[in-house]
Amino acid sequence: MKKPENQPSQAGLWVRLVGWLERNAATAFLLPTVLVILAFVLFPLVGSLYSSLARLSFRDGGLELSFVGLANYRKLLLGSEQGHFLGHPGTTAWVLWVLVFTAIALGVVMYRRWRAKRSLWVWLGQPLLGGLLLLAFTWLFLSRLLPGTRMGTLQTTLFYVIAGTTLQYLLGLGLALLCAERLPGTRFFRVLFILPLAITPIGVAYMFRMLTDTGKGPLVPLWEALGLGGFSWVNDPWGARLAVLIGDVWQWTPFAFIVLLAALQSIPQEQVEAAAVDGASRWQVFRHIIFPYLLPASATLVLIRLIEGFKIVDLPNILTNGGPGTATESITLHAYFAWRTLDIGTAAALGFLLMVLVSLVTSLYAAWVLPRARGQQ
Amino acid sequence: MSRPRSPLAPSPWQVGLTYLALGLASVFVLFPLYWLIITSFKLPVDVNSGPFYLPWVDFKPSLHAWEYVLGTLGPDVRRAYANTAVVALSSALLALFLGTSAAYALTRFQYRPRVGAIVLFIACLVLTVALVALGMPWLPAVGLGLAGLILGLQTLGRRFKKHLGNDEIALWLISNRILPPVVVVIPIYLLFQQLGLLDTRTALIISYTVINVPIAVWLMRDYFQNIPHDIEECAQIDGASRYRIFWTIVLPLAAPGLVATFLLLLVFAWNEYLLALFLSKANSQTMPLMVAAMSGTRGTEWWYMSVIIVLMILPVVILALVLERYIERGLIVGAVKG
Amino acid sequence: MIPNLAKWLVFLVLLSLPALAQSGRFQGVSINVLTFTGPQIAEPLRRHAAAFERATGAKVNVTVVPFSDLYQQILTDATTGTNSYDAWIFAPQWMADFAPAGIMEDLTARVRADNAIQWNDIAPFFREFSALYGGKILTIPLDGDFQMVYYRTDVLRQLGLQPPQTWDDYLNIAQRANGRDMNGDGRPDFGSCIAKKRNAQSYWMFMSILGGYVQTQGTRQGAFFDTRNMQPLVKNQAFAEALRVYKETTRFGPPDELNLDVGDTRGLFTSGRCALSIDWGDIGPLSIDPQTSRVKDLVGAVILPGSRRVLDRNTGNLVNCTAQLCPHAINGVNRAPYAAFGGWSGGINTKAAANKKDAAYALFSFMSQPAQSNKDVTIGITGFNPYRISQFRDIQTWVAAGFSEAGARNYLNAIQQSLNSPNMVLDLRIPKAQQYQQVVLDRVLSEYLAGQLTIPQAQEQIHNGWEEITNAEGRQKQLQAYLASLGITGR
Repeated sequence: MKKPENQPSQAGLWVRLVGWLERNAATAFLLPTVLVILAFVLFPLVGSLYSSLARLSFRDGGLELSFVGLANYRKLLLGSEQGHFLGHPGTTAWVLWVLVFTAIALGVVMYRRWRAKRSLWVWLGQPLLGGLLLLAFTWLFLSRLLPGTRMGTLQTTLFYVIAGTTLQYLLGLGLALLCAERLPGTRFFRVLFILPLAITPIGVAYMFRMLTDTGKGPLVPLWEALGLGGFSWVNDPWGARLAVLIGDVWQWTPFAFIVLLAALQSIPQEQVEAAAVDGASRWQVFRHIIFPYLLPASATLVLIRLIEGFKIVDLPNILTNGGPGTATESITLHAYFAWRTLDIGTAAALGFLLMVLVSLVTSLYAAWVLPRARGQQ
Repeated sequence: MSRPRSPLAPSPWQVGLTYLALGLASVFVLFPLYWLIITSFKLPVDVNSGPFYLPWVDFKPSLHAWEYVLGTLGPDVRRAYANTAVVALSSALLALFLGTSAAYALTRFQYRPRVGAIVLFIACLVLTVALVALGMPWLPAVGLGLAGLILGLQTLGRRFKKHLGNDEIALWLISNRILPPVVVVIPIYLLFQQLGLLDTRTALIISYTVINVPIAVWLMRDYFQNIPHDIEECAQIDGASRYRIFWTIVLPLAAPGLVATFLLLLVFAWNEYLLALFLSKANSQTMPLMVAAMSGTRGTEWWYMSVIIVLMILPVVILALVLERYIERGLIVGAVKG
Repeated sequence: MIPNLAKWLVFLVLLSLPALAQSGRFQGVSINVLTFTGPQIAEPLRRHAAAFERATGAKVNVTVVPFSDLYQQILTDATTGTNSYDAWIFAPQWMADFAPAGIMEDLTARVRADNAIQWNDIAPFFREFSALYGGKILTIPLDGDFQMVYYRTDVLRQLGLQPPQTWDDYLNIAQRANGRDMNGDGRPDFGSCIAKKRNAQSYWMFMSILGGYVQTQGTRQGAFFDTRNMQPLVKNQAFAEALRVYKETTRFGPPDELNLDVGDTRGLFTSGRCALSIDWGDIGPLSIDPQTSRVKDLVGAVILPGSRRVLDRNTGNLVNCTAQLCPHAINGVNRAPYAAFGGWSGGINTKAAANKKDAAYALFSFMSQPAQSNKDVTIGITGFNPYRISQFRDIQTWVAAGFSEAGARNYLNAIQQSLNSPNMVLDLRIPKAQQYQQVVLDRVLSEYLAGQLTIPQAQEQIHNGWEEITNAEGRQKQLQAYLASLGITGR
């Protein structure tokens, strides 16, 4: 096609521009997003990193951030806030047993892989890393579930994430399965189960505060009938954690429900029917046909809920104020409390420790779970 | 004669159980909402004297809370509502646009950013921030950082051959959701203050877009991966530009997914509290802040708070009802099977 | 002809009315004032702001944030140069951070030139310790804060007991009264209701208990730190005993006392469900509020109980009171009333525009003037408690508000006794007081109450936490600030 001769430069420029855009479509699609995120995330991130290494004070008409090195991190991990953040372990006799057991198991795995002539990373690196992580997890988290120990904000957060995500997934899956059956009226339920997601988390927290009030809440007659009349969940650490967990599950199960229902409804019916005709039981149909279709969606869903779950703050803040004591305080709430008195060094340090933790979990998840889940379909 | 029953059709007993389970779940979901709604019609003495369940039977419903919120607080509520609506809609649309483009790109193109370049970029960034922190005015600091970056890219950057791929980019995008807002609040506050955008809707829109784009990318990416490439390839052979393909072919196919993602983004932005708390004072106050403001030290004023929460929920619920069919059909694997 | 002229005249007059009305002193000035959610403080502020607007034409925008966010909001706004708030109503305790940050306007000249505010009517204590910092007047007092013990006169009479003089008396009364039905609704009620919620205003109640055990030699001795070396006065028997008493009161309180804020305990007390409470002055006027109170004229107030055994600072032990050790003891009991919090005061942002500063000052002066203030302190929900001499003298205002004359005398007496006590405990007014109290003390107290810490562990954590802050800020600097706040200079 010939360009009109009487508008040479403008048309030429435009054509060249369009051509350039076309060739660099890949960049054009992705770059705006990347730039926006870089601009508004990276600078604050680096600024925060600096403030986690500093201490705020007020002098001569302004703020002063004085560099203190790793003092904030030391305080949280080894110093006066260690009990608050990491809790208190109990007696440590059993640790020896765990170490011995882990060492033996590791030894077996390493030996077998070495015999199978696997690469260095596979027979030495992976087991060592796995063992280290397992030990760290046991020491930092599982040990706090024993009597005589105390959970810190780290363990409380892990509890919310693990228990919460599991419950949300299972309940969401159950509800999705129930609603996927072509029974009359399920449309009504499908709409209903979405509702909790529509409420602001602050609103959910206040709502549950109303519900769980031991004086005038609607469940008081129920408790009294069950004989729990005098029990104040507010004063019991696990009661309080359970209350926060229930609020969290109530609010976020719809997310799992929506995602899984969509995945369920995309499964080709013919496969299911064919398997049934072949004599498979409901459980076998679920396990071998339906669940594989659900895996990619589940993987994404669990990843998103994991990342979000670590940031839980509104529910423990409003339901219990982090109480009793610090029993329900999550890491983000811990940081929020510090930030409120303008101790931003501690708040930033906590944020980065949280980031390290979540990155670790996410990386493990991405390395181990994601490829399998996606590869299956 | 009835149709032959599919072997998987549930027995009446199983149907009954199903309905029972659904019923129980509904009670679990509905009861808190019911309690919320009747609290908005209760007098303070009814709330404080113990649980009353049924309007007109246990207690006399009153409109005092509604009158107070819509009347006395009316201007504040209207402003907060307008702010929330504008901010949520804008940021959801923006995040959807950016996220969908990025998701499409991540499933159709191959990216191979060099590790060396990325490390260099981060190093120059840290250098710039350090220079600013040490007192250098920001323009020369940025200039120095850029110079270092370009220089480095020409020399060191080429020496490291390792590449990252699309998956890593996607992971990086979603990892931006890991950091809790409270940590970056003061830098973001200062950033918007320098730009003169504090207490404006623009600041909130930008912030919400930035934090929600990763969700859009991840959800739409799964969706695009399940749309077959053939149609697009045909169109490309015919000479259509990639942008036209995206706009006229792919997006309509992905419509249900778009709608569902949009709804989720809208909900996230509508309900966001922490960033709004930091970045807005009076002008750009949003509804979640009004909810929190109803809690005083004299004991929370549950009746006012319930009214505000109900007001907040209504539009989202209506929107969800309207878009319900899109939500299920669209979210992950979609309607393209047909 | 004449009707037309009349019409025009009327029209012209109407036209000029707005111009006439626009002669207010601060016409066109708009100020932003920040305080906490309330309704205490916020309600009277809004009310007086409306009257102020009518009188002067200034527009007052009131913004509220939750109490625990107030400190951070003010500082962040002012020190980052945002300056969206021109004035604040806040805790004068925080002056120790605000003043070094240079954000507070010096009000000395304005106060000297202002007759309407009747500065000398403000009780000397509040003039000198809530408004003055470094010799300059930085705030306008709007409220006076002392913690006291409130008791149900009818319940004590039935039990044949006297108002508590020591904390052992308090526990005794609480134990005897616990479980009785004190408001006739058939449900058992509570011996003692004290706000113990974390991140609220609860840690002051603990200091109220501690004071009598720790401070004996008068206000300048201080109750928080050793005045020689800034060591926390924590690892000693007195602190341990105070912790024991504090936790013991929980036994006679409502089951979810750990989650109750001052608003909740006040509600419980005025609906008749408690025999005793520790609180600021609010319960007095709240108890005569016909809308919410069931205990009108059944409430008595007494200055904070003390102890017969006090801290020997050299040994760290609890020893019996002697004439030398407890020169201010009353009937052998060392009493140390606690000026908790200081009293809500108005401060002005030094970076605000000049006319806004003038308008804000005029607003605060208006609110502080006896005509407004004396009425406010008799109304419970305002959150303002007596701080002016005229408020203590003028019994008739209280009686007019609904007190019985005996009730008013009893209430005002308790506050005045606290105010005039030579052994009054001052609240902590040093840099980062927020961190000492809200971050360390409050958290450890709530963990201790929840059973997560033993007494020695709690003492250890408070000591270490406080020492950390002191070391980070600079021990000498903190010591100087502490001594200055206690009124000693050039030691």
